[in-house]
Amino acid sequence: MRSVILRAGATLLTVLATALSALYVTSHLKNPAAPLQPTVLSASGATTLSAPGGTLTLGPSVQPSNAQPVTSTYAS
Amino acid sequence: MPLKAPVQAHHFEALGTNCSLFAVGLATGRLLEGEFWVRRMGARLTRFCPDSELSQFNASTGNWTDISPELESLLRESMRAFETSSGLVNVAVLRSIEAVGYTRPLSEGQPVATTLRAAPLPPLPDVLAVRQGAARLERGAGIDLGGIAKGWMADRLCDSLGPNMVANLGGDLSARGTGPAGDGWPVGLGGVTVLLRDQGAATSSVRRRRWSLEHHHLIDPRTGLPAQTGLEEVSVVAADGVEAEVVAKTALLVGPEIAPAYCAAHALAWWLSP
Repeated sequence: MRSVILRAGATLLTVLATALSALYVTSHLKNPAAPLQPTVLSASGATTLSAPGGTLTLGPSVQPSNAQPVTSTYAS
Repeated sequence: MPLKAPVQAHHFEALGTNCSLFAVGLATGRLLEGEFWVRRMGARLTRFCPDSELSQFNASTGNWTDISPELESLLRESMRAFETSSGLVNVAVLRSIEAVGYTRPLSEGQPVATTLRAAPLPPLPDVLAVRQGAARLERGAGIDLGGIAKGWMADRLCDSLGPNMVANLGGDLSARGTGPAGDGWPVGLGGVTVLLRDQGAATSSVRRRRWSLEHHHLIDPRTGLPAQTGLEEVSVVAADGVEAEVVAKTALLVGPEIAPAYCAAHALAWWLSP
């Protein structure tokens, strides 16, 4: 008799947990309009400079300069 | 205006490209030592010479092979690059790059444009295993270290030669120290000058090493074919030369829609050219 009550209790608990989980999930649907990418560009304080042939973005740890470059990165 | 310290410059051709070393407070002889080291490493890591350490390793597939500490370090960097790029930077690209016709140095003549057939690359950890002093390559696989080797060498040069210098090996560069004026090394990036301090920069492009409209050297591991992503050139500043190389190549391969967000998360500055 005691084992039957335990089984019934466990079953009831499982069904209850499943139902509550289903309720929670359906009431917290993912927002399909949410942006796919975080706004990292604006958040990081980066500045984007327009340049011929492309776009250049500088993060806060890289400063532009008017000095003559000693060398450049380039495709080789 | 800060006083500028004199800059020692040394230029030479190696690794199939132009190389430059710049330093403050370093004897010219030390820069020459750097050139000799680059030449020695280039001879060991080239895929074009059958006697190089890399070619010998590529020829020993299926077996554990003893390798130098330098090649071990580079292979470990390559494994890290594969992981951090989600598989887009894959040095097991040799068979694909040979299949598109790039079988000899460009200085020996233009490659022959071959018929292109898609053959995605195997994941690097499936074909390459590295342990202390040895590595094993699966049969049929081959390694081409490409820009990772240049970025790695630029970083090592700065480690060994001096605290205030720039090593630029064909556009893969490493800048160490505060530069001649104390505010960083002035380096060209996307047409403007930026100041680099303890950082690296690299450019990945499909505009050079191209021998037909469809044939160039930058292989997309997802297809095994020359990459066509809508971006033609990406330059990046990152924490060091190797990281810059990996981020630049990955950004070019993910294409113009994802590259800005990818670079924002992984680079310190970036130039994207469609």
